[in-house]
Amino acid sequence: MAESRACFHCGLPVPAGLDLSARIDGEDRPMCCHGCKAVAELIGASGFDAYYRFRDAPPGDAPAPPPGDDADWRGFDDPETLPLFAATRTDGGREAVLHVEGLYCSACSWLLENVLRRLPGVTEITVNTASSRLHVVWQPEETRFSAILGTIERLGYRPHPQSLTEAYSPRHQERRQALKRLLVAGVGMMQVMMFAVALYAGAFQGIDPEMRRFLVWVSALVTTPVVFYSGRPFFQSAWRGLICGRPGMDLPVSIAVGGAYAASLYAAVSGHGEVYFDSATMFVFFLSLGRFLEMSARHGATERSAAIGQLLPDTVRRIADERSDGEEIIAVARLRAGDRFALRPGERVPADARILRGRASLDESLITGESEPVSRGPGDEVTAGSINLDGALTLSAERVGQDTMLAAISRLLERAQAERPAVAVLADRVASWFVVGVLVLAASTGAVWWWIEPGAAFPAALAVLVVTCPCALSLATPAALAAANTALADRGILITRSRALQGLAEFDRIVFDKTGTLTRGRPELERIVPLAEGADAERCLAIAARLESGSEHALARAFPRRGDTPADLRPVPGRGIEGSVDGVLYRIGSAEFVGAAARAAAEPLETGPASTLVFLGDGERRVLAAFELRDSLRDDAAAVVATLREAGIATAIASGDRSRTVDDIAGRLGIDDARGDLGPEDKLAWVRELQAAGEKVALVGDGINDAPVLAGADVSAAMGAGTTLAQSSADAVLLGDSLAPLLTAVELSRRTRRIIRQNISWAIGYNVLAVPLAASGMLAPWMAAIGMSASSLLVVLNALRLRRRGDAARPGREPAGAPAAPAALEASP
Amino acid sequence: MSILYVLIPLGLVLLAAAVAAFFWAVGSGQFDDMDTPAWRVVMDDDRTPPARKQEDDDER
Repeated sequence: MAESRACFHCGLPVPAGLDLSARIDGEDRPMCCHGCKAVAELIGASGFDAYYRFRDAPPGDAPAPPPGDDADWRGFDDPETLPLFAATRTDGGREAVLHVEGLYCSACSWLLENVLRRLPGVTEITVNTASSRLHVVWQPEETRFSAILGTIERLGYRPHPQSLTEAYSPRHQERRQALKRLLVAGVGMMQVMMFAVALYAGAFQGIDPEMRRFLVWVSALVTTPVVFYSGRPFFQSAWRGLICGRPGMDLPVSIAVGGAYAASLYAAVSGHGEVYFDSATMFVFFLSLGRFLEMSARHGATERSAAIGQLLPDTVRRIADERSDGEEIIAVARLRAGDRFALRPGERVPADARILRGRASLDESLITGESEPVSRGPGDEVTAGSINLDGALTLSAERVGQDTMLAAISRLLERAQAERPAVAVLADRVASWFVVGVLVLAASTGAVWWWIEPGAAFPAALAVLVVTCPCALSLATPAALAAANTALADRGILITRSRALQGLAEFDRIVFDKTGTLTRGRPELERIVPLAEGADAERCLAIAARLESGSEHALARAFPRRGDTPADLRPVPGRGIEGSVDGVLYRIGSAEFVGAAARAAAEPLETGPASTLVFLGDGERRVLAAFELRDSLRDDAAAVVATLREAGIATAIASGDRSRTVDDIAGRLGIDDARGDLGPEDKLAWVRELQAAGEKVALVGDGINDAPVLAGADVSAAMGAGTTLAQSSADAVLLGDSLAPLLTAVELSRRTRRIIRQNISWAIGYNVLAVPLAASGMLAPWMAAIGMSASSLLVVLNALRLRRRGDAARPGREPAGAPAAPAALEASP
Repeated sequence: MSILYVLIPLGLVLLAAAVAAFFWAVGSGQFDDMDTPAWRVVMDDDRTPPARKQEDDDER
């Protein structure tokens, strides 16, 4: 087990005794399995060795899928199905957008582009790493859609064709629109500032009136698109706020921008009075910049998280003819309730269905969170998203698409997301009051000056609006958030909602899910107990490894992959496997399967509560050995929990697993409160209960059954290796297979909160100082604008300090599974 | 100083052209992905001479 070689392709450790290699860049590189070898050889043989030099991250933790076959994708060539996923171009070509699972870095996109471009008939191909999307155009006469999909799968990625309606999302449009607005504002601002400098210089040194008029008009010309094109979102949002009776921050922004623009235009036409075009454009630009940065951070995260359909397979083997059992592969979108379909081992159930024939163990962890597979037979219902582990099934679809349980969970999730935390509501209300205050202040300044000296009334009121204008105030938070998001992304934490940073800085209880969060989420071989006389542990393991090498069962993955799969291997669904090794018949599986003697032998074996026992026996029902498998704790779990406790945060576990298992884990990690046997609703209810008691609850989870509770907690984080949906409902995603980034996130969030407070105090202090000056007419609007810009700049620079890397060591980057760490964990009480 | 009466409008025309070019670039999707193109320049595609294409196709 102490084998340190890592697979050159996927980075997983190479099982001991396995000797596989592929020639890359003229050298033989170690490979961990035949799947990786096939992929690496395809890459090497195509002359794309450079992929290995340029990639910046190995592919995900999942073992590479077996090389795919175009035939699996034939369903998409069907003339009825193809138009759902591929648009026809005017030149007769077809174009489609695919979501590609497993696309992690630029090297992947380079590889995909280059390999696909060699397919005959593929004319255009672009891969967007940021959103994991692939856009492809091909000539249907020369190549088929299934060939493209099959090639992608053979490269080790998993393509998900996107139906045309979901392919062109409004997010793209929103981002493009915002970019254009930002550029217009930025370029416009630079121009107008240039003219403004000339005008200010002219005001001191004297300027030809003709030239002054010219510069004023040119400024007006440039400012117009900035105000009406770039500033449009502010006016729209201010108007919406007014209609709802909830004036937002955008209202004074709109009044200041609109007022400054109108007054300046009036000054330009009438030929006397000040112009404030520079203030107006600067204002629009800075605000747009802040919003753009915030939007990018938001989109970047949500784009990766995918729609619910991606948890389901794309194709299904429908049984077309009742009598002959002839199968045809169709797209899942065409499956109807009542259709019969076949499911092979390793495939996902595409719809809620009832088993007609066959028996199999199903991994339902997606829905129930239960890590142990359940056995299902004829008449039982299975839910969409479960994985068939070991038996061939014939099923009848009961509910498809939006009617499935999976879709219902996703709706539950949407509802939980719709409930906004109380803090957000409070912030809105405070903003409204602030806005009303600013408006009243500006209006009264104008009114007072109207009595004293009508000519000074407008400049003074405008100066007050510009000075108080929440520029620094409104930049204070988004600038810090954007800087923090970038800093966190550099450290392997993706923030998907802005409330995450606030939440991570101030939660006082953290609730962990167990499987896949505190534990690795996959069983590992803990120990081997020889039970028969003369049985040798090594020999038993070798036999077990050969038997299990043909199985896709979750427990089988705990055994090293080595030796050939016996030819007569016979899996008995839900119970075990039978097969001959070196001419002797063996059985491996549950005690019931191996024989009565095994059950007797199991009694005296003391096992940890989180363990599962697997027995090896021979054809005469003699028990040879027992294997204890355990879902081991993450190496850094204990350290993370201890650090959080030291920081005064209460810890808890909420799990769908058996209470005994959960208590054991809690005991070993020193977690205060542990609850097992919880379904998704129970978890949500518990979190609500804690919240009602006044606690702020953070949740760390990974399964899809956690999704509602992830959304319901005050702040939530999902493990990057977890299900995609869990990521989309979590406020933050910990990329990589380690808990340690959580600590970094908490630490950085606290720093962010400190910086936001500094920024806001600065902005308020500046206002307190500047408002009396502006109200007393001592500040010209241009001075106010310069003061405001300087103050904004200060705020932004302060925020950017967050991006500086601290000297602190980053434990999150330790290679997962370092041999020494588990031993240290076991030693802890 | 009267040259400014020509130069400033000229500058504005160039500015308008630049903005139009940017709008076109955004519209054609050039700003949708800011990560991949930065790497493309480092990756030498010319390691695969066109002759290889034939071979591979034959193998298939």
